[in-house]
Amino acid sequence: MAAGNLWHTLTEPLVDKNPITLQILGICSALAVTTSLDTALTMAISLTVVLVLSALVVSLIRKHIPGTIRLIVQIVIVASLVIVIDQFLQAFFFDISRRLSVFVSLITTNCLVLGRTESFSRNNPPFPSMVDALGNGLGYSLILCIIGSLRELFGNGSILGFQILRTVDQGGWYVPMNLMLLAPSAFFLLGGLVWAIRSIRTDQAEAPEYAPPETAERAG
Amino acid sequence: MIRGIWDRETVALMLLAAAFPVFVAWVQADGWYAIGRLIFFLVVAGIWHVIFMLARAQPPSFAGALTALTIAILAPHDLGIFALLLGTSFGVVMAELAFGGWGRNVLNPAVVALAFISFGYPASNWPELAVQIGWAAFPAALIGVLTGVMSLRLLLGVAVVTVITLYAGVDISETWIAGAVVLVLMVCDPVTASATRLGRWAYGAFYAAMFVLFTCQWGDAAPIQIAVAAALLASLAAPLFDEIAISIWLYRRNRRIG
Repeated sequence: MAAGNLWHTLTEPLVDKNPITLQILGICSALAVTTSLDTALTMAISLTVVLVLSALVVSLIRKHIPGTIRLIVQIVIVASLVIVIDQFLQAFFFDISRRLSVFVSLITTNCLVLGRTESFSRNNPPFPSMVDALGNGLGYSLILCIIGSLRELFGNGSILGFQILRTVDQGGWYVPMNLMLLAPSAFFLLGGLVWAIRSIRTDQAEAPEYAPPETAERAG
Repeated sequence: MIRGIWDRETVALMLLAAAFPVFVAWVQADGWYAIGRLIFFLVVAGIWHVIFMLARAQPPSFAGALTALTIAILAPHDLGIFALLLGTSFGVVMAELAFGGWGRNVLNPAVVALAFISFGYPASNWPELAVQIGWAAFPAALIGVLTGVMSLRLLLGVAVVTVITLYAGVDISETWIAGAVVLVLMVCDPVTASATRLGRWAYGAFYAAMFVLFTCQWGDAAPIQIAVAAALLASLAAPLFDEIAISIWLYRRNRRIG
């Protein structure tokens, strides 16, 4: 595969085919772990690592996986990698691992991981598969970081623990918004982000399901 | 709807006319402070309506003024300008304009804005409504019913549950003002209320029942928070009541005709 093609595979999932904002995959974790930027970053890195390694393994044995049980084989591979990552986090980043609670283990069931192994790694050689997985992991990470930093900034007035907006409790002016620390705000932010991206890239917008009825004003 | 002069803006103007007694009572109670607040919210809502007119060719509506009035009466007093701006913008844009303007929205923008503020800034200081504002809700409902923009069935549904509540001995003397104001300003909005006959009864009764439930069980909430939460739940349930009413109608019709 040519270098330009690889570059395309890597950059396409960042905005044009972003797994979260275009395909709406993996939003469960995007909602759950983005209350602060450090958990979002940890989750993004974990998922990217799992995604790239599982792409490598699945792609290496792609000609030997029986078609009928391929999903089971893929899940076993992903789950083993997730356990490794989970143990690693518990060993070296215990505090963050505790705050991420069950969501690192739930990478196993992330549609994004299974979607990439099923649709790309199964049919492509190892190196392009890893590039594709890395691109998708970075696309996921990008959205997680945007939402995580917005939620932490408006919910606590800080980013990565550094106080940016001094809150009222600390003698500043900013009244922290509790809603930002609750799950609905992630829905609103994600929806707003999808809206913004699709307003700029109109080719991503879906066709309307209904045509609005003729109104009296329009009919004259 | 009757043809002729009746279009969307006529309904919005009638709703504004119905809200007028509440507006007068509120200005008398709060004075110039109230006027300043109202102008602030009118400007915020107006700017969003103009932006959407320019960007999406959606005609601006007088319903925006009703939203502004409702938020001005009910929003907390000690919140910073940034929080009020954010809450109002969220309600007006996400609940109304993003759906294509007033008439196509699922939830009332003022309900969404106040719920947003209520969950976003739970420690804020909600206004204590003066008792005459609560009494002004009665002429407001009367004007609404006489001009045909508010549903009598809806109000009767509320009344039935209220009477049952009073007989059961539940104390709503602290909270009824907020409940009545929210009822005429937001719950009776014909766009987000149920549209079938049976659905309107159920919708009004459901709002009142939720309101009484929250009054009894939600100890540390302000009366306005209670009423707004009840209104939010009721308007979320409104399509369900319509669906049930239509199913019953279809069932009966199929039984009769075979």
